[in-house]
This record gives sequence, structure tokens and C-alpha cells, in this order.
Amino acid sequence: MNNNTKSYELIYVILNFGMGSKVYRFARNLGIKRGMIILGKGTVKSPFLEFLGITDVRKEIVLMVCESSKINDIVPQIVDNFNIDKPNKGILFTIPIKDFYDLQNNGKKYVSEKVNKNGGAKNTMYDAIFVVVDKGKAEFVVEAANEAGAKGGTIIHARGAGEYEIEKIFSMEIEPEKDIVLIILKKELTDAVVNSIKEKLDIEKEGGGIIFVQEVDQAYGIL
Amino acid sequence: MNVLLKKFRDALFSVIPITIIVLILNFTIVPIDNTSLIKFLIGAVLIIFGLLIFLIGVDIAIIPMGDMLGSTILETKSIWKIVLICFLFGFSISVVEPVLHIVAGQIDYVTAGAIAKSLVIVSVSIGVGALMTLGVLRPLFNIPLPIFFTIAYSVIFVLALIAPPEFISISFDAPGATTGVLTVPFISSLAIGLFSKRAGKASEEDSFGLVGITTSGAIMALLVMSIFARNVDLSHTINQYTNTSIPSNSIAGSFLHLVPSVMLETLSALLPIVIIFLIFQVTSFKLSKNSFLNIIKGFVHTFIGAVLFLTGANGGFMEVGVIIGGTLTSLENKIVVILFGFLLGAVAILAEPSVYVISKQIEDVTSGYIKGSLIISAFSIGVGLAVALSVIRTIVPGLKLWHYLLPGYGLAVVLSYFVPNLFVGIAFDSGGVATGLMAATFILSFAQGAAGVIEGSNALIDGFGTISMIALMPVLTLLIFGLIFKVKSSKGGTQKNEQ
Repeated sequence: MNNNTKSYELIYVILNFGMGSKVYRFARNLGIKRGMIILGKGTVKSPFLEFLGITDVRKEIVLMVCESSKINDIVPQIVDNFNIDKPNKGILFTIPIKDFYDLQNNGKKYVSEKVNKNGGAKNTMYDAIFVVVDKGKAEFVVEAANEAGAKGGTIIHARGAGEYEIEKIFSMEIEPEKDIVLIILKKELTDAVVNSIKEKLDIEKEGGGIIFVQEVDQAYGIL
Repeated sequence: MNVLLKKFRDALFSVIPITIIVLILNFTIVPIDNTSLIKFLIGAVLIIFGLLIFLIGVDIAIIPMGDMLGSTILETKSIWKIVLICFLFGFSISVVEPVLHIVAGQIDYVTAGAIAKSLVIVSVSIGVGALMTLGVLRPLFNIPLPIFFTIAYSVIFVLALIAPPEFISISFDAPGATTGVLTVPFISSLAIGLFSKRAGKASEEDSFGLVGITTSGAIMALLVMSIFARNVDLSHTINQYTNTSIPSNSIAGSFLHLVPSVMLETLSALLPIVIIFLIFQVTSFKLSKNSFLNIIKGFVHTFIGAVLFLTGANGGFMEVGVIIGGTLTSLENKIVVILFGFLLGAVAILAEPSVYVISKQIEDVTSGYIKGSLIISAFSIGVGLAVALSVIRTIVPGLKLWHYLLPGYGLAVVLSYFVPNLFVGIAFDSGGVATGLMAATFILSFAQGAAGVIEGSNALIDGFGTISMIALMPVLTLLIFGLIFKVKSSKGGTQKNEQ
């Protein structure tokens, strides 16, 4: 196994449904090799839409691995090309990663030399909070987060496979459904939002869910 | 606001193609009188707004509710409860379906009352309930879809051999009679709710197919009914379409007089779903006040939307369909007729609400892996071919409906063994999806108009059967798309590994 010692970051782009493939294609032309697209739901805030009962809208989340040395070249191009810094176009943020394994390539290991080595003038005022809860509870997470000052979130639908959670109904194996809520917010709000979610959803209780916070390196399009 | 604008654009683009084709025909070979044309355009506008509101309603009420219901049923973990609940769902949805009431009325008439209308409605609903239950139980016991459909269609084939031939086309029209605009989204989201928890790849695959299984129950029930009617005098001709005369000639009147009956139909179709929701809300969902209110709002949207587009389609599209069908067929060049038949079928289905609901569900379940546009184009080609083949049948005298249906369903069953299971489910669902509003209004009246002009063809019998074709052809096109998809994606996979 070769160890490649460059540093890597994960680029997240959250966009309206249908734009994901376009962004990924664009990024591939810029030299990004690995990426994937996840479907999610974004919360919307508009009294009129709320009156109609429309509370969420389909989103796509593009995840791409990129070398830190190239990131300052690639990210601004994506931001410009898809107008991500304009309102309502989407969000882009990057999170440094420690190491990753390329499973398509015999598990070749890539290790980041130093996490966060490219600090300096960059925008590191944001955190990304991930909350994993049982299906249907995402709206309470968003509610709790908004009460503490967050501005909405993105919900990803997933299935959980905890140690004891797989069960069988007749001869059908069941994995419980989960919602993942992704919230990007200013660092100074993180503690308040995490506490608010923790209290409202009894996360500390067994099986209550998981919260983790990651530090965002660069962020665009957050209002 | 962006959200609404985008939904509006979707609705607009689904109705524009058919409007353009009709306008082109109007200015070239099929001049349409002004009153009918204005009615058609008003109908198109009503359908655009109806579609917009209806799809929002389905999004916030019908789909989440079917989803929750599926999960809740599964959690009972009692096979008898699952059987009982599913049977009752299937039965109650079918028993109020307005189209089934019309078909049952026709059978009553054709058999001179020997098979009573209420008997038909009850037995078809039992068939729908029973097959829906089997469809829900199928994944629980790991029976593969292709095997299930092989058994189901073998039973149908044997029944069709015994049944009097007059009934075969009525029976194969049944998917259209049992799957209205509300039942398709409801049943398919119920399936998604039931099986999205399933571990592994099967969770995608099992999310589809329930609509197809349910509709095969209706076909079986009608065939069984007709076997009992063997000795009944069938001298009455089948006159399905006598009730489509338009009593009012004023433009506004022709729409307004439809509204009360359309409202009643929609209400009766929506009512069992709302009642089921309320019962489960009290006993097990226990949604928060906001979520509960949202679903109720969704039901209101669904109702308003359905009333708007049903009024638009019935009041504006049927007349123009008959005119175009009639005028086109009188042309010397039969190739043109077949070509326009294909084109009209292909664009008309774009305005079908269920097609949008199902393609969105497919995108959601496969995380966008299968694009909705792919599914919509398969529907479009399938329905186009169905109309073209129906037109050919009215031109070639010896061609019987079963000449299409037998090899068609045979091929579908065989193909299902070679196509990824996900596509098998989607394909067999598509029969019920395509035979919705547009098939019953615009396409049917086109076929009727076409059959009325051709010498030696009986308008009533030959117009009939078009629905059977619309139920069959998308199944085939989607299976073939599935086959192409399989071949292409396996190629793509090896290329990736080489990199």
C-alpha cells in the first residue's frame, strides 16, 4: 500500500434538485476524480409557501474529494460558474479530511499531512453539525436548531444499521430508517444549537440519535 | 417563490406539447371549429393549474401518508393484521373508484342486468383487495417479482381462454378502471413506505410493482365474472360512449355543468384515504399539530387540483379528440394517420399526473440514479405506440385485440426474467399509471373518432380496447429501457474499474 502524503478536503455542494450532475460534471473537467450525489430535502421559509403547506424542497448534495493544493483553484470556479454566492443558488463548503482509502483502487491509502494546515486568511468561521435521528424526527431537529439561531438545514434520508438494529419480519430483513440533518452555521452559534437539539430530542438517551460537529474550512453561499 | 415557479414550469411544459400539436393540426390538415378550439385552450389552462395544485397536494399529503401507513402496518408484525388491513385498503379504494362504476354500469347493460352493477363493483374490489394483499406479502416471503407476474398472468391467460371473447377487451381495460389519479400515488407510496426499510438492494426493487399486481387483480375478477355470464344473452351492443354527449354549447356552460359531478367523483375517491388517515392519526401516527395540518392542507390541494384538471380534460379535450380522430382518419394517406396517432399519444401522456408522481418516486427511491426524464420518455413512446397500434387495428379488418395482447403480455413476462427487478416493478406499475386521465379523455375520444369514420369497423367495439393497449405498451417499453439500461450500466461499470 502506498501512502500518498498530500492533504485532502471534502467539498460539499448543496443545490436545487437537478443541478447535482451538472456541478459534478463541471468539477470532473477541473480534475476532480471521486465524487457522489445524494438526494436531500432543504427547508424553506416563506409565509406564503407555509400557508400552502410546502415546507421542504428537493435538494442534491454533491460530495467530492479534492487535494488541498488544488482546492483554491477549483472551488472559486464552481462558485462562479453556478453563482453559489448569490442568494438561493446553493451552499458550498469544504471540510478537511484526515485520511481516506480508495476502495476502487485496492484500498490505496491517502493520508493528509496535517489537518487544517492551510489556515490563514481563509474563512474558518463556520461549523457543520450533523444530526442522525430516527425517521420523522428531522423536522424537530430543524425546529430546535432554528430556535437557537440556525437558519434551516438539509435533510438526508438514510437507513441505519446499528449493532442491534437489524431485525426480521417474516423472511424480510429490516433496517430502521433514519434522517440525517446537516446544518451549517457560524461557530459562535454551534454550542447553543447543539444544546437545543440535545434537549429537545433526548439525544443522550439510548437510541436517541447522534450529533457530531465538523469544522468547515471554506464556505460560500451562506446567508 | 422559486419553488412554486419551478413547479409551475413543470406543469406548463407537460401541457404545452399537446397544445402545440393540436394547434399545428388545426392550421394544417384538421381545421377545428372555433368553439371547440377555445374550449380546448381553456381546458389546457385548467389542466396546467390543476396539475400544479394536484402535484403539490400529492407531495405534501398522499405520498407522506402512504409512506407512514406502510411503515406502521409493517410494525404490527402480525401477518393477520397485515392481511386484513391491506385487503380493506384495496377493497375500499377500489369500491369508490368512479371509473369502475362506469365500467360496471356498462357490463350491467351489456348483459341485460344478468350481472348486476353492484356485483361487478364488489367482485372487482375483492379482486383488487386480494391481489394487493398478495402483493404486500410477496416481499415478506421473498418471492421474486418475475415469478409472481408469471403466475398472475398465467392465471389471467387461462381465464381469458374460458371467458366469452366479448369480455376480454373489457377485462383488459380494467387497469384503467381501478387506478384513478388518486389511487396510483397512494398505492405506490404505500409500497415505498412498506419496503424502504428493507435491508440491501431489495429495498429499491420492492418499492415498485404493487400497482401492477393490484391491477392484475381487477383483470382476474372481471374475467371470472364473465365466465359466470357465459349463457347470458349478449345481444345488446357495448355502448360505452353514449354518455359523452355534450348538452351545453356555450363555452363556459360546457365546463361549469361538469363541476358538480367531477367534485362528487373526486370527493368519493379521496374520502376513504382521508378516513384511513384520520383513523391512523388517532390510533398510531399521532402527528404533531403542524404536520397534521399540513397533510390536511395537502388533501385540500389534491381535491382542488383534481377537480380543475378533470374538468379541463373532460370539458376541453374530449371534443377535440373526437374531431381530430375523425378528420385524420378520413385522409387517404393512412401512414399520416398512424404517425399522428403516435404523436398525439406520445404528447398526451406528458400531461398525465400519475406519470409525474411515479417518476419522482423513482428518482427518490434510486437517489436520482434513474432519471425521471428517462421514465417519462419510456411512457411517452409506449403510449404513442399503443395509439398507433390501435389505429392500425381499425384499418386492418382481421386484426383482433388479442393478437396484440397475447404476444404482448407473453413478451412482458419473458422479458421480466432478463431485466433488473427494479425495472420489472416499475414496468408492471406503468400499466396502471398510463391508463389515467389523459387516456380516458383525449386518447380514447381520438380512437373513437378514428374508428367512427373507417368503413367496416364498429366505432363502439374498435374504440374499445385502446385502454388495454395503453395498459400494455408502456410495460413493454419500460422493460426494454430496463434491458438497455442494464447493458449500458454494466459496460460503464467495467470502464470505471479499468481507470
